[in-house]
Amino acid sequence: MIRVVTLDPIDDKQLAKFNRTLYTAFGVGSEHSGSAEIPAGMSEPLDAEKLVDAVKGIRAYTDDKVLLLTTRKLKDRELPSGTAPTVGFARQGKDRAVLSIHPHKDLESAYKGLARHALHQLGHLWELHHCLDPRCSMYPPWTPSFSQGEPIFCTFCREKSEQKIRLAKS
Amino acid sequence: MPEGSAALQLAVGDRVVYPNQGVCRVTAIDVKEVAGQKLTFVTMRREEDGAVVMVPEAKVVAIGVRKVATAEDVERIYAFLRSDSDKADLDWKQRARTNLDRMTQGGILGLAEVVKALQVLSELRPLPTKERELYDSARHLLVSEVAAALGTAEVNAEDSIDIVLFPPGRERPKRTAAEFARPDGEDGDMDLDGDLMGLDGGELDLPSEEEAPAEPEENAEGEGEGEESEESASDESAPKKRGRPPKAKPAEGEAPAAPKKRGRPPKPKPEVVSTEPPPPPKKRGRPPKPKPPESETAAPAAPKKRGRPPKVKPPEGE
Repeated sequence: MIRVVTLDPIDDKQLAKFNRTLYTAFGVGSEHSGSAEIPAGMSEPLDAEKLVDAVKGIRAYTDDKVLLLTTRKLKDRELPSGTAPTVGFARQGKDRAVLSIHPHKDLESAYKGLARHALHQLGHLWELHHCLDPRCSMYPPWTPSFSQGEPIFCTFCREKSEQKIRLAKS
Repeated sequence: MPEGSAALQLAVGDRVVYPNQGVCRVTAIDVKEVAGQKLTFVTMRREEDGAVVMVPEAKVVAIGVRKVATAEDVERIYAFLRSDSDKADLDWKQRARTNLDRMTQGGILGLAEVVKALQVLSELRPLPTKERELYDSARHLLVSEVAAALGTAEVNAEDSIDIVLFPPGRERPKRTAAEFARPDGEDGDMDLDGDLMGLDGGELDLPSEEEAPAEPEENAEGEGEGEESEESASDESAPKKRGRPPKAKPAEGEAPAAPKKRGRPPKPKPEVVSTEPPPPPKKRGRPPKPKPPESETAAPAAPKKRGRPPKVKPPEGE
């Protein structure tokens, strides 16, 4: 089950559409599971790694995947080989991811790109790596063409995610 | 022999890399008696999922177990991935063999070489399934080792690799087969030219190229994935054409010769003309059963009853 938790107010209709897209991509249920507070002391731009760990009060089962949605900007990560533009963050194989819709005010204004980013982060939660196919949502998200594509997976990534989901269920 | 494993001294708690399996931690080194022999076994637990493997100490180096790479090694990996020197091998058999060696014996640099080579190849054409799986496996091992070496999360390790492979703000270039062509003009077709096999085009009565489809070439190429794309790529690079050179066209005044028919020539027909009507064509299959004479058919036999025959009743007097 994918649980979308909002950290800032977002329109319910848009969230319903967003959940349908996630359901179509992964074949598992997706729902808006309420909202949560950003911990005090965290200022914009938010540190995605800390945010994922720090948000409290989310109820989910063990095999659920939680996607935190915020309208605030996330801080780019400094990595040994350079700076990684950060729209979202998810630890490989874990159960929480965060996605920022910044600089957009709502989901609708850049729907495809945001849905694609959401698929990307949730894909990491199901242990998918970056993909070579530019049409796939697991393609590195900082490439210029990423936001223009459809929120879909390539055959390889889809099969791998389905396999991981099956394993999680069994 | 893999790099860094020439003098491998392991102790409990060390982090090592088991080829094709990933980062493991040595959990025990103990002596066990197997078939009357006392052997020292190194027990390793894979960090990813906790799978345990025991290896005789004498075989640790031969298997390719090595220490986890250092931060300096990772810097060298970034430099290698950043360079544009790697060209993919278009010969799939050669590529598969090389990649297998790199995965098992090449150390972290071998993993990076596989990732880089397949990524470069994917800029020319989509990878076949097996190579896509190999790419994913190599990437997974590379990411987990870089994460272990730098002490960071796997997602950060992967992003740090991909920032180098896919620089932000830039699209991947489209490659052409000409970029991968070797300088000596080889096209990676195993070098099995006609003269090497002792076949001269003029000695055999082979059908001309217009008649023969591409299938004999595919068969000669061997089985395996991606061979079609292999050929198409080699066509793009305008390699040497194999087989018989095209026939010279006939002069304009001559009538074009009828195309040769393939296969066995037809049998010559007998020239004797007989006036008898031709025998009816033979029916194929099992001949019909001969019908019994009519007198026998007057009393048709009762249909056979199926199942076990009834028991013979004992005579009443007994």
